[in-house]
Amino acid sequence: MVTLMRNLPIALVLLPLLSGCVASRIEQSRDSSTGIESDEAIVLLGRASYNDKQTEEGFTECIADVLAGGDNPIRLIGQNQFRDDLYPWFEPRTAPTSADELGRLFTEPGVKERIASVNVRYLAWIDGDTITVDKGGSMSCTISTFGGGCFGMSYWEEDASYEAAIWDLKTMTSTGQISAEANGTSYLAGLIIPIPILARPGNAACKGLANQLREFIVGET
Amino acid sequence: MLQFRALLRQSLYVTAMLLFLQSCTTSVVVEGTVPTPLVSVIPARMGVYYSDEFRRFKHEEVFRDSGGWHIDLGKQNLRFFQNLTKSLFAEIQEVHQPPLTTEEMRNLDGVFIPSIEKYGFLTPSISGLKFYSASIEYRVAMYDKVGAKVGDWNIVGYGKSEGGLFSSDEAINEATVLAIRDGGARIAIELIDQPAVQAWLQSRHESFESSAGPPGVAENIESIESIENSETPENVDGDPDA
Repeated sequence: MVTLMRNLPIALVLLPLLSGCVASRIEQSRDSSTGIESDEAIVLLGRASYNDKQTEEGFTECIADVLAGGDNPIRLIGQNQFRDDLYPWFEPRTAPTSADELGRLFTEPGVKERIASVNVRYLAWIDGDTITVDKGGSMSCTISTFGGGCFGMSYWEEDASYEAAIWDLKTMTSTGQISAEANGTSYLAGLIIPIPILARPGNAACKGLANQLREFIVGET
Repeated sequence: MLQFRALLRQSLYVTAMLLFLQSCTTSVVVEGTVPTPLVSVIPARMGVYYSDEFRRFKHEEVFRDSGGWHIDLGKQNLRFFQNLTKSLFAEIQEVHQPPLTTEEMRNLDGVFIPSIEKYGFLTPSISGLKFYSASIEYRVAMYDKVGAKVGDWNIVGYGKSEGGLFSSDEAINEATVLAIRDGGARIAIELIDQPAVQAWLQSRHESFESSAGPPGVAENIESIESIENSETPENVDGDPDA
Protein backbone atom coordinates (compact mmCIF):
# COMPACT_ATOMS: atom_id res chain seq x y z
CA MET A 1 0.00 0.00 0.00
CA VAL A 2 2.91 2.34 0.85
CA THR A 3 4.57 1.51 -2.48
CA LEU A 4 1.32 2.22 -4.29
CA MET A 5 0.98 5.59 -2.58
CA ARG A 6 4.62 6.41 -3.36
CA ASN A 7 4.18 5.63 -7.06
CA LEU A 8 0.85 7.38 -7.38
CA PRO A 9 2.28 10.88 -8.07
CA ILE A 10 4.59 9.43 -10.74
CA ALA A 11 1.65 7.64 -12.32
CA LEU A 12 -0.41 10.83 -12.26
CA VAL A 13 2.37 12.72 -14.06
CA LEU A 14 2.80 10.01 -16.66
CA LEU A 15 -0.89 9.43 -17.36
CA PRO A 16 -1.42 12.39 -19.66
CA LEU A 17 1.51 11.11 -21.73
CA LEU A 18 -0.43 8.01 -22.66
CA SER A 19 -1.67 8.38 -26.16
CA GLY A 20 -3.86 6.28 -28.36
CA CYS A 21 -2.99 5.09 -31.85
CA VAL A 22 -3.65 7.35 -34.81
CA ALA A 23 -3.60 6.20 -38.43
CA SER A 24 -2.96 9.00 -40.90
CA ARG A 25 -2.58 9.40 -44.64
CA ILE A 26 -1.21 12.38 -46.61
CA GLU A 27 -1.74 12.77 -50.34
CA GLN A 28 -0.53 15.43 -52.69
CA SER A 29 -1.32 16.47 -56.22
CA ARG A 30 0.82 19.07 -57.97
CA ASP A 31 -0.39 21.19 -60.87
CA SER A 32 2.72 23.32 -61.36
CA SER A 33 6.20 23.93 -59.97
CA THR A 34 6.65 26.05 -56.85
CA GLY A 35 9.32 27.93 -54.93
CA ILE A 36 9.48 30.80 -52.49
CA GLU A 37 11.96 33.61 -51.81
CA SER A 38 12.88 34.45 -48.22
CA ASP A 39 11.01 37.78 -48.35
CA GLU A 40 7.85 36.23 -49.79
CA ALA A 41 5.00 35.13 -47.54
CA ILE A 42 2.17 32.63 -47.32
CA VAL A 43 -1.32 33.22 -46.03
CA LEU A 44 -3.31 30.34 -44.55
CA LEU A 45 -7.04 30.90 -44.72
CA GLY A 46 -9.60 28.61 -43.11
CA ARG A 47 -12.64 28.00 -45.29
CA ALA A 48 -15.90 28.96 -43.63
CA SER A 49 -19.37 28.25 -44.91
CA TYR A 50 -22.78 28.75 -43.40
CA ASN A 51 -23.62 25.11 -42.88
CA ASP A 52 -22.74 23.05 -39.82
CA LYS A 53 -19.06 22.74 -40.76
CA GLN A 54 -16.15 25.11 -40.54
CA THR A 55 -12.39 24.69 -40.39
CA GLU A 56 -11.42 25.18 -36.75
CA GLU A 57 -9.28 28.28 -36.15
CA GLY A 58 -7.04 26.15 -33.91
CA PHE A 59 -6.21 23.86 -36.85
CA THR A 60 -5.07 26.75 -39.06
CA GLU A 61 -3.06 28.16 -36.14
CA CYS A 62 -1.44 24.74 -35.62
CA ILE A 63 -0.28 24.64 -39.27
CA ALA A 64 0.97 28.23 -39.00
CA ASP A 65 3.00 27.32 -35.90
CA VAL A 66 4.65 24.39 -37.67
CA LEU A 67 5.44 26.40 -40.83
CA ALA A 68 6.82 29.38 -38.88
CA GLY A 69 9.10 27.15 -36.80
CA GLY A 70 11.78 24.58 -37.57
CA ASP A 71 15.03 24.91 -39.50
CA ASN A 72 13.45 26.38 -42.59
CA PRO A 73 10.75 28.81 -41.38
CA ILE A 74 8.34 30.34 -43.86
CA ARG A 75 7.10 33.93 -43.50
CA LEU A 76 3.38 33.93 -42.73
CA ILE A 77 0.76 36.67 -42.77
CA GLY A 78 -2.00 36.14 -40.18
CA GLN A 79 -5.39 35.36 -41.64
CA ASN A 80 -7.21 38.03 -39.63
CA GLN A 81 -4.77 40.70 -40.73
CA PHE A 82 -5.02 39.56 -44.35
CA ARG A 83 -8.83 39.54 -44.25
CA ASP A 84 -8.88 43.04 -42.74
CA ASP A 85 -6.35 44.37 -45.26
CA LEU A 86 -8.33 42.99 -48.18
CA TYR A 87 -11.84 43.55 -46.84
CA PRO A 88 -14.41 42.78 -48.29
CA TRP A 89 -12.86 40.30 -50.75
CA PHE A 90 -11.91 37.40 -48.45
CA GLU A 91 -15.04 37.18 -46.29
CA PRO A 92 -16.78 33.76 -46.15
CA ARG A 93 -19.37 34.71 -48.79
CA THR A 94 -17.19 36.88 -51.01
CA ALA A 95 -13.89 34.98 -51.13
CA PRO A 96 -12.89 33.48 -54.47
CA THR A 97 -13.81 29.81 -54.67
CA SER A 98 -11.28 28.93 -57.37
CA ALA A 99 -7.96 30.31 -58.61
CA ASP A 100 -9.70 31.26 -61.87
CA GLU A 101 -11.47 34.05 -59.99
CA LEU A 102 -8.18 35.67 -58.95
CA GLY A 103 -7.85 37.51 -62.27
CA ARG A 104 -11.19 39.27 -61.73
CA LEU A 105 -10.37 39.97 -58.09
CA PHE A 106 -7.06 41.60 -58.98
CA THR A 107 -8.89 44.14 -61.16
CA GLU A 108 -10.74 45.48 -58.11
CA PRO A 109 -9.32 48.82 -56.94
CA GLY A 110 -6.37 48.47 -54.59
CA VAL A 111 -6.40 44.67 -54.30
CA LYS A 112 -3.29 43.94 -56.39
CA GLU A 113 -1.33 46.77 -54.73
CA ARG A 114 -2.35 45.67 -51.22
CA ILE A 115 -1.24 42.06 -51.87
CA ALA A 116 2.02 43.29 -53.41
CA SER A 117 2.70 45.55 -50.42
CA VAL A 118 2.82 42.57 -48.04
CA ASN A 119 4.54 40.37 -50.66
CA VAL A 120 2.19 37.40 -50.37
CA ARG A 121 3.20 34.71 -52.86
CA TYR A 122 0.95 31.79 -51.91
CA LEU A 123 -2.52 31.46 -50.52
CA ALA A 124 -3.38 28.12 -48.90
CA TRP A 125 -7.06 27.46 -48.30
CA ILE A 126 -7.50 25.00 -45.45
CA ASP A 127 -10.78 23.14 -45.56
CA GLY A 128 -12.05 20.32 -43.36
CA ASP A 129 -12.82 19.40 -39.79
CA THR A 130 -12.54 16.76 -37.10
CA ILE A 131 -15.69 14.86 -36.22
CA THR A 132 -16.61 12.16 -33.73
CA VAL A 133 -17.77 9.16 -35.73
CA ASP A 134 -18.43 6.72 -32.91
CA LYS A 135 -18.59 6.64 -29.13
CA GLY A 136 -19.65 4.21 -26.47
CA GLY A 137 -18.98 2.58 -23.12
CA SER A 138 -19.85 4.00 -19.74
CA MET A 139 -18.07 5.25 -16.68
CA SER A 140 -19.38 6.38 -13.34
CA CYS A 141 -17.64 8.27 -10.59
CA THR A 142 -18.72 8.38 -6.95
CA ILE A 143 -17.51 10.30 -3.94
CA SER A 144 -18.36 9.69 -0.31
CA THR A 145 -16.97 10.38 3.17
CA PHE A 146 -14.92 7.16 2.87
CA GLY A 147 -13.33 8.17 -0.43
CA GLY A 148 -14.31 7.91 -4.05
CA GLY A 149 -13.38 6.61 -7.43
CA CYS A 150 -14.35 6.04 -11.04
CA PHE A 151 -15.18 2.68 -12.61
CA GLY A 152 -15.92 1.70 -16.18
CA MET A 153 -14.61 2.64 -19.58
CA SER A 154 -15.72 4.93 -22.37
CA TYR A 155 -14.30 5.51 -25.83
CA TRP A 156 -14.78 7.80 -28.79
CA GLU A 157 -13.46 7.58 -32.32
CA GLU A 158 -12.57 10.74 -34.26
CA ASP A 159 -11.94 11.32 -37.96
CA ALA A 160 -9.89 14.32 -39.08
CA SER A 161 -10.11 15.15 -42.76
CA TYR A 162 -8.48 18.30 -44.17
CA GLU A 163 -7.35 19.64 -47.51
CA ALA A 164 -5.07 22.50 -48.44
CA ALA A 165 -5.57 24.10 -51.86
CA ILE A 166 -2.53 26.18 -52.76
CA TRP A 167 -2.81 29.17 -55.11
CA ASP A 168 0.12 31.09 -56.53
CA LEU A 169 -0.76 34.78 -56.43
CA LYS A 170 2.13 35.64 -58.76
CA THR A 171 0.88 33.47 -61.61
CA MET A 172 -2.77 33.54 -60.42
CA THR A 173 -3.05 29.77 -60.79
CA SER A 174 -3.69 26.77 -58.61
CA THR A 175 -0.43 24.96 -57.90
CA GLY A 176 -1.85 21.89 -56.22
CA GLN A 177 -3.68 20.27 -53.33
CA ILE A 178 -2.61 18.35 -50.26
CA SER A 179 -5.01 16.24 -48.26
CA ALA A 180 -4.54 14.79 -44.80
CA GLU A 181 -6.72 12.22 -43.13
CA ALA A 182 -6.26 10.80 -39.66
CA ASN A 183 -8.33 8.51 -37.52
CA GLY A 184 -7.97 7.52 -33.91
CA THR A 185 -9.87 6.18 -30.92
CA SER A 186 -9.49 7.68 -27.45
CA TYR A 187 -10.27 5.84 -24.22
CA LEU A 188 -11.11 6.91 -20.71
CA ALA A 189 -10.67 4.04 -18.28
CA GLY A 190 -11.92 4.37 -14.71
CA LEU A 191 -9.68 2.38 -12.32
CA ILE A 192 -10.35 4.37 -9.15
CA ILE A 193 -8.79 7.36 -10.93
CA PRO A 194 -9.81 8.14 -14.53
CA ILE A 195 -7.00 7.22 -16.94
CA PRO A 196 -7.22 9.00 -20.30
CA ILE A 197 -5.60 7.43 -23.35
CA LEU A 198 -6.04 10.11 -25.94
CA ALA A 199 -5.64 9.80 -29.68
CA ARG A 200 -5.33 13.19 -31.34
CA PRO A 201 -6.12 12.75 -35.02
CA GLY A 202 -6.54 16.53 -35.51
CA ASN A 203 -3.01 17.10 -34.27
CA ALA A 204 -1.63 14.30 -36.46
CA ALA A 205 -3.42 15.72 -39.51
CA CYS A 206 -2.09 19.22 -38.72
CA LYS A 207 1.54 18.11 -38.46
CA GLY A 208 1.31 15.88 -41.52
CA LEU A 209 -0.34 18.58 -43.61
CA ALA A 210 2.03 21.33 -42.43
CA ASN A 211 5.19 19.33 -43.15
CA GLN A 212 3.89 18.31 -46.57
CA LEU A 213 2.88 21.92 -47.29
CA ARG A 214 6.40 23.12 -46.45
CA GLU A 215 7.93 20.51 -48.76
CA PHE A 216 5.41 21.33 -51.45
CA ILE A 217 6.22 25.02 -51.44
CA VAL A 218 9.99 25.03 -50.95
CA GLY A 219 10.84 21.55 -52.24
CA GLU A 220 10.43 21.93 -55.98
CA THR A 221 11.47 24.99 -57.95
CA MET B 1 -42.73 44.77 14.26
CA LEU B 2 -44.24 41.78 12.46
CA GLN B 3 -44.92 43.92 9.45
CA PHE B 4 -41.31 45.11 9.45
CA ARG B 5 -40.07 41.51 9.56
CA ALA B 6 -42.35 40.53 6.69
CA LEU B 7 -41.13 43.51 4.69
CA LEU B 8 -37.51 42.63 5.47
CA ARG B 9 -38.09 39.02 4.40
CA GLN B 10 -39.72 40.11 1.18
CA SER B 11 -36.85 42.50 0.46
CA LEU B 12 -34.37 39.68 0.99
CA TYR B 13 -36.34 37.43 -1.37
CA VAL B 14 -36.46 40.14 -4.02
CA THR B 15 -32.73 40.87 -3.61
CA ALA B 16 -31.89 37.16 -3.84
CA MET B 17 -34.09 36.83 -6.93
CA LEU B 18 -32.46 39.87 -8.54
CA LEU B 19 -29.00 38.50 -7.77
CA PHE B 20 -30.02 35.14 -9.24
CA LEU B 21 -31.39 36.76 -12.40
CA GLN B 22 -28.31 38.97 -12.65
CA SER B 23 -26.03 35.95 -12.41
CA CYS B 24 -27.93 34.25 -15.25
CA THR B 25 -27.68 37.21 -17.63
CA THR B 26 -24.74 37.43 -19.99
CA SER B 27 -23.87 40.94 -21.09
CA VAL B 28 -21.86 41.48 -24.25
CA VAL B 29 -20.63 44.83 -25.54
CA VAL B 30 -19.67 43.99 -29.10
CA GLU B 31 -16.16 45.08 -30.06
CA GLY B 32 -13.99 44.26 -33.03
CA THR B 33 -11.86 45.58 -35.85
CA VAL B 34 -13.24 48.07 -38.35
CA PRO B 35 -11.68 47.30 -41.74
CA THR B 36 -11.65 49.83 -44.55
CA PRO B 37 -13.23 48.41 -47.72
CA LEU B 38 -11.24 48.28 -50.97
CA VAL B 39 -14.13 48.96 -53.36
CA SER B 40 -15.18 51.20 -56.21
CA VAL B 41 -16.33 54.56 -54.91
CA ILE B 42 -19.87 55.65 -55.79
CA PRO B 43 -19.34 59.14 -57.22
CA ALA B 44 -21.86 60.97 -55.08
CA ARG B 45 -21.88 63.32 -52.11
CA MET B 46 -24.19 61.67 -49.62
CA GLY B 47 -25.83 62.69 -46.41
CA VAL B 48 -25.94 59.72 -44.03
CA TYR B 49 -28.60 59.50 -41.36
CA TYR B 50 -28.12 57.15 -38.39
CA SER B 51 -31.21 56.94 -36.20
CA ASP B 52 -30.85 56.80 -32.42
CA GLU B 53 -32.01 53.18 -32.54
CA PHE B 54 -29.22 52.36 -35.00
CA ARG B 55 -26.63 54.20 -32.92
CA ARG B 56 -27.60 52.46 -29.70
CA PHE B 57 -28.87 49.12 -30.95
CA LYS B 58 -29.23 46.55 -28.19
CA HIS B 59 -30.70 43.08 -28.21
CA GLU B 60 -32.16 41.36 -25.19
CA GLU B 61 -33.37 37.79 -25.11
CA VAL B 62 -33.98 35.14 -22.49
CA PHE B 63 -33.53 31.44 -23.20
CA ARG B 64 -34.80 28.80 -20.83
CA ASP B 65 -31.52 26.84 -21.07
CA SER B 66 -28.84 29.50 -21.25
CA GLY B 67 -30.45 32.39 -19.34
CA GLY B 68 -30.69 36.01 -20.36
CA TRP B 69 -28.55 37.77 -22.95
CA HIS B 70 -27.98 41.47 -23.25
CA ILE B 71 -26.05 42.31 -26.40
CA ASP B 72 -25.01 45.88 -27.12
CA LEU B 73 -23.86 46.16 -30.71
CA GLY B 74 -24.73 49.81 -31.41
CA LYS B 75 -21.27 51.32 -30.96
CA GLN B 76 -19.40 48.73 -33.07
CA ASN B 77 -22.09 48.83 -35.75
CA LEU B 78 -21.99 52.64 -35.94
CA ARG B 79 -18.18 52.72 -36.15
CA PHE B 80 -18.32 50.09 -38.87
CA PHE B 81 -20.89 51.98 -40.97
CA GLN B 82 -19.14 55.33 -40.52
CA ASN B 83 -16.00 53.75 -41.97
CA LEU B 84 -17.92 51.85 -44.65
CA THR B 85 -19.80 54.89 -45.98
CA LYS B 86 -16.60 56.94 -45.98
CA SER B 87 -15.08 54.41 -48.39
CA LEU B 88 -18.26 53.79 -50.36
CA PHE B 89 -19.16 57.33 -51.40
CA ALA B 90 -17.05 60.16 -52.79
CA GLU B 91 -18.07 62.41 -49.88
CA ILE B 92 -20.24 61.88 -46.84
CA GLN B 93 -21.78 64.08 -44.21
CA GLU B 94 -23.87 62.94 -41.24
CA VAL B 95 -27.28 64.58 -41.32
CA HIS B 96 -30.38 64.78 -39.12
CA GLN B 97 -33.54 62.84 -39.84
CA PRO B 98 -34.89 63.59 -43.34
CA PRO B 99 -36.59 65.46 -44.92
CA LEU B 100 -33.76 67.95 -45.32
CA THR B 101 -34.29 71.45 -46.59
CA THR B 102 -33.10 72.57 -50.03
CA GLU B 103 -30.39 74.57 -48.29
CA GLU B 104 -29.20 71.48 -46.38
CA MET B 105 -29.17 69.46 -49.60
CA ARG B 106 -27.20 72.14 -51.49
CA ASN B 107 -23.89 70.24 -51.24
CA LEU B 108 -25.40 66.75 -51.25
CA ASP B 109 -26.53 64.49 -54.09
CA GLY B 110 -28.65 62.22 -51.93
CA VAL B 111 -29.22 60.66 -48.54
CA PHE B 112 -28.25 57.17 -47.40
CA ILE B 113 -30.09 55.63 -44.44
CA PRO B 114 -29.02 52.30 -42.93
CA SER B 115 -31.18 50.65 -40.29
CA ILE B 116 -31.29 47.33 -38.46
CA GLU B 117 -34.46 45.37 -39.04
CA LYS B 118 -33.61 42.25 -37.05
CA TYR B 119 -30.83 40.77 -35.01
CA GLY B 120 -30.74 37.19 -33.82
CA PHE B 121 -28.31 34.66 -32.50
CA LEU B 122 -28.10 30.97 -31.66
CA THR B 123 -26.06 29.15 -29.06
CA PRO B 124 -24.86 25.54 -29.53
CA SER B 125 -27.43 24.36 -26.97
CA ILE B 126 -30.22 25.72 -29.17
CA SER B 127 -28.88 24.92 -32.63
CA GLY B 128 -27.26 21.59 -31.78
CA LEU B 129 -24.18 22.69 -33.75
CA LYS B 130 -20.67 23.35 -32.51
CA PHE B 131 -20.95 27.07 -33.19
CA TYR B 132 -22.47 30.26 -31.90
CA SER B 133 -24.07 32.12 -34.78
CA ALA B 134 -25.52 35.58 -35.30
CA SER B 135 -27.46 37.28 -38.06
CA ILE B 136 -28.32 40.91 -38.73
CA GLU B 137 -30.87 42.06 -41.25
CA TYR B 138 -30.07 45.55 -42.47
CA ARG B 139 -32.25 47.79 -44.56
CA VAL B 140 -30.47 50.46 -46.53
CA ALA B 141 -32.43 53.20 -48.27
CA MET B 142 -31.18 55.81 -50.72
CA TYR B 143 -32.91 59.06 -51.60
CA ASP B 144 -32.00 61.51 -54.33
CA LYS B 145 -31.45 65.26 -54.03
CA VAL B 146 -35.17 66.08 -53.99
CA GLY B 147 -36.04 63.35 -51.48
CA ALA B 148 -37.42 60.80 -53.95
CA LYS B 149 -36.52 57.23 -53.09
CA VAL B 150 -33.82 55.74 -55.33
CA GLY B 151 -34.34 52.34 -53.76
CA ASP B 152 -34.16 50.31 -50.59
CA TRP B 153 -32.63 46.91 -50.05
CA ASN B 154 -32.57 44.29 -47.35
CA ILE B 155 -29.20 42.69 -46.65
CA VAL B 156 -28.66 39.85 -44.20
CA GLY B 157 -25.24 39.40 -42.62
CA TYR B 158 -24.25 36.11 -41.01
CA GLY B 159 -21.46 35.22 -38.66
CA LYS B 160 -20.47 32.19 -36.64
CA SER B 161 -17.81 31.42 -34.12
CA GLU B 162 -16.46 28.46 -32.21
CA GLY B 163 -17.03 28.85 -28.52
CA GLY B 164 -15.89 27.13 -25.38
CA LEU B 165 -18.09 26.31 -22.42
CA PHE B 166 -16.84 29.32 -20.47
CA SER B 167 -16.40 31.82 -23.29
CA SER B 168 -19.90 32.13 -24.70
CA ASP B 169 -19.79 35.94 -24.48
CA GLU B 170 -16.59 36.05 -26.58
CA ALA B 171 -18.12 33.69 -29.12
CA ILE B 172 -21.29 35.81 -29.44
CA ASN B 173 -19.11 38.91 -29.77
CA GLU B 174 -17.11 37.33 -32.58
CA ALA B 175 -20.17 35.95 -34.36
CA THR B 176 -21.82 39.40 -34.22
CA VAL B 177 -18.70 41.17 -35.50
CA LEU B 178 -18.56 38.68 -38.38
CA ALA B 179 -22.26 39.23 -39.12
CA ILE B 180 -21.68 43.02 -39.30
CA ARG B 181 -18.68 42.44 -41.58
CA ASP B 182 -20.67 40.09 -43.80
CA GLY B 183 -23.56 42.53 -44.17
CA GLY B 184 -21.11 45.38 -44.79
CA ALA B 185 -19.27 43.33 -47.43
CA ARG B 186 -22.52 42.75 -49.34
CA ILE B 187 -23.34 46.47 -49.23
CA ALA B 188 -19.81 47.50 -50.23
CA ILE B 189 -19.68 45.13 -53.20
CA GLU B 190 -23.24 45.00 -54.45
CA LEU B 191 -24.82 48.39 -53.82
CA ILE B 192 -23.08 50.00 -56.78
CA ASP B 193 -24.37 47.25 -59.09
CA GLN B 194 -28.02 47.66 -58.16
CA PRO B 195 -30.04 48.70 -61.24
CA ALA B 196 -31.74 51.54 -59.33
CA VAL B 197 -28.38 52.96 -58.22
CA GLN B 198 -27.00 52.65 -61.74
CA ALA B 199 -30.08 54.40 -63.16
CA TRP B 200 -29.74 57.18 -60.57
CA LEU B 201 -26.03 57.65 -61.36
CA GLN B 202 -26.85 57.66 -65.08
CA SER B 203 -29.56 60.29 -64.63
CA ARG B 204 -27.14 62.42 -62.62
CA HIS B 205 -24.54 61.95 -65.34
CA GLU B 206 -27.01 63.10 -67.99
CA SER B 207 -28.05 66.12 -65.94
CA PHE B 208 -24.36 66.98 -65.45
CA GLU B 209 -23.74 66.66 -69.16
CA SER B 210 -26.65 68.95 -69.97
CA SER B 211 -25.52 71.52 -67.40
CA ALA B 212 -21.76 70.95 -68.01
CA GLY B 213 -20.97 70.00 -64.42
CA PRO B 214 -17.59 70.03 -62.68
CA PRO B 215 -14.99 67.98 -64.61
CA GLY B 216 -13.84 65.94 -61.59
CA VAL B 217 -17.30 64.53 -60.93
CA ALA B 218 -17.88 63.75 -64.61
CA GLU B 219 -14.65 61.71 -64.68
CA ASN B 220 -15.84 59.66 -61.72
CA ILE B 221 -19.14 58.93 -63.42
CA GLU B 222 -17.31 57.71 -66.50
CA SER B 223 -15.46 55.21 -64.34
CA ILE B 224 -18.78 53.88 -63.05
CA GLU B 225 -20.05 53.35 -66.59
CA SER B 226 -17.44 50.66 -67.12
CA ILE B 227 -18.92 48.71 -64.19
CA GLU B 228 -22.39 49.02 -65.71
CA ASN B 229 -21.56 46.28 -68.20
CA SER B 230 -20.91 43.75 -65.44
CA GLU B 231 -23.56 41.33 -64.25
CA THR B 232 -26.00 43.03 -61.89
CA PRO B 233 -27.69 41.00 -59.17
CA GLU B 234 -31.44 41.45 -58.87
CA ASN B 235 -31.45 41.55 -55.13
CA VAL B 236 -28.72 42.21 -52.59
CA ASP B 237 -30.30 39.79 -50.16
CA GLY B 238 -29.58 36.15 -50.83
CA ASP B 239 -29.22 32.63 -49.65
CA PRO B 240 -26.34 32.35 -47.18
CA ASP B 241 -25.16 29.11 -48.70
CA ALA B 242 -25.14 30.53 -52.18
